[in-house]
Amino acid sequence: MLHRLFGHFGLTLYSWLIILYLVFPLAVLIAASFTASDFLAFPPKGFSLKWYARLAGNEGFIEAAWISIKLATIATLLALALGVPAALILARQRFRGKSVVSALFISPLLLPAIVIGVSILQYAHLLGFARTFWALLVGHVVIMVPYVIRTTMASLGGLPMNIEEAAQDLGANRFETFFLITLPQIKPGVIAGGLFAFIISWINVEVSIFNSTAELVPIPVKLFNYIQYNIDPLVAAISAVTVYVAFGVVFLIDALVGIDKAATG
Amino acid sequence: MRIGLWGTVLLLAAPVAFMLAFFAAPFAAVVVSSLQNPDGDWSAANYIRVVSDPYYLKALWTTISIALWVTVITFLLGYPLAYFMAFRVRNRWFKRLLYIIVVTPLFTSNVVRAFSWIILLGRNGFVNDLLMWLHLIDEPLPLLFNKVSIVIGLSYIMLPFMVLSVAAILQNTDTRLKDAARDLGAGPWTTFACVTFPLSLPGVVSGALMVFTLCVSAYVTPSILSGGREVVMSMLVFQQYATVLNFSFGATLAVTLLITAFVLLVAYQIARLGYQKSRRLRGLNAT
Repeated sequence: MLHRLFGHFGLTLYSWLIILYLVFPLAVLIAASFTASDFLAFPPKGFSLKWYARLAGNEGFIEAAWISIKLATIATLLALALGVPAALILARQRFRGKSVVSALFISPLLLPAIVIGVSILQYAHLLGFARTFWALLVGHVVIMVPYVIRTTMASLGGLPMNIEEAAQDLGANRFETFFLITLPQIKPGVIAGGLFAFIISWINVEVSIFNSTAELVPIPVKLFNYIQYNIDPLVAAISAVTVYVAFGVVFLIDALVGIDKAATG
Repeated sequence: MRIGLWGTVLLLAAPVAFMLAFFAAPFAAVVVSSLQNPDGDWSAANYIRVVSDPYYLKALWTTISIALWVTVITFLLGYPLAYFMAFRVRNRWFKRLLYIIVVTPLFTSNVVRAFSWIILLGRNGFVNDLLMWLHLIDEPLPLLFNKVSIVIGLSYIMLPFMVLSVAAILQNTDTRLKDAARDLGAGPWTTFACVTFPLSLPGVVSGALMVFTLCVSAYVTPSILSGGREVVMSMLVFQQYATVLNFSFGATLAVTLLITAFVLLVAYQIARLGYQKSRRLRGLNAT
């Protein structure tokens, strides 16, 4: 209907322009990262990999990348360990106070990330663990849990309960039922949720920045601090690498559960 | 699966304890400290300072106006694209590719996405060069480090949320309703205005509320693209916590930001309840 208003090709043309608006900025970063010049240029001047070489030799950024990978991995495992059992109960059980419990798990989605960031700093300050790895970790787990619960519940929703009933009727105990029947069935959804959680940590600035220090700094925060003072092709190279990672993860999630389903719930 | 009461308690204990300890308690600590004076007594002095100082009111207004602009722009750009993806794209692989294009930016950090606009919007940046080359302008426009660049950058960052929430609804609408409208003689305009658009409203509303809330609390994008020349609430919160080290006043600003972020949501709920009540009074079924 809308396409008639635009004329038959109007909507298609307009949509392509918007798609260009979505793709172009990231394409510009990738193009700029291959420049041979010593300053940021788009279109790039010449072609070279020297900024990637510089990045590989930059200890500060390599260190920050390690911190980010460690942080995201541990936080993801923790969020899965907490979120999957919680999702199982929320999807399968009725009990008093259930709505309060599920609100507790979902609220971090609603609360602005910066508010979560300052609350972890202030609280950790009171208890004496401010600006440590632990403060970064708990903040990340808090914002991951809602996503893990949502994706796990979505996979459980598509699973017929009578399979589990049948297993239990045939003498499997609860643990056997969960590990042999339920978990294998929901595995793709859980892995996709884990990947999603990993990325949330990997790109987060608002929660991390309050508990970062000069030595303890995840890569997005490091990059954020760096560009306040320097704008050079090195930033484009780091940015380009993060775009490659994003593409990789999106393709993985697509292969696991289908990106259109994952994105539109 | 039969889990039983003890199983429930056992499985929920750790996640509930974790969220209470590291989410609910910290948030409570912020709210409490926002209502205290430096001696630790209850006082509303911090809040009075926020609402009586023109500097904070101006930052509040800047924050809200940017968020409103971005909400409108993402709707104007996002709705047609979502419509296109839901109804015009027939090829499954092409549809998947479009979803990948829409989702991938969400998986890159706001720092990276805001930075790309520094390259594009600068004085000798690509956009100015292009406009000059097309002879649309004679000299570079001041596009960077002002409200314009913040709105452009945030619109780019928020667009996927709007597209996905509208597409999710349109994807699941019953196309037979459209066909029925056409069969009953409605033109394309009427069909869209009376059938398709009203059906997609829940997606528009949830997308708009999400975009508005995220814009009000966005920190990275405004601070990169403002060049320090515009001040929004999140930047003031950061300042208090990271440089001034006045946690109590920072907490007040954080709570103010939180309230601002939910302004639209609350207004929408009130309007909806009022609408339902008026329908009930007129003897119509509330929908």
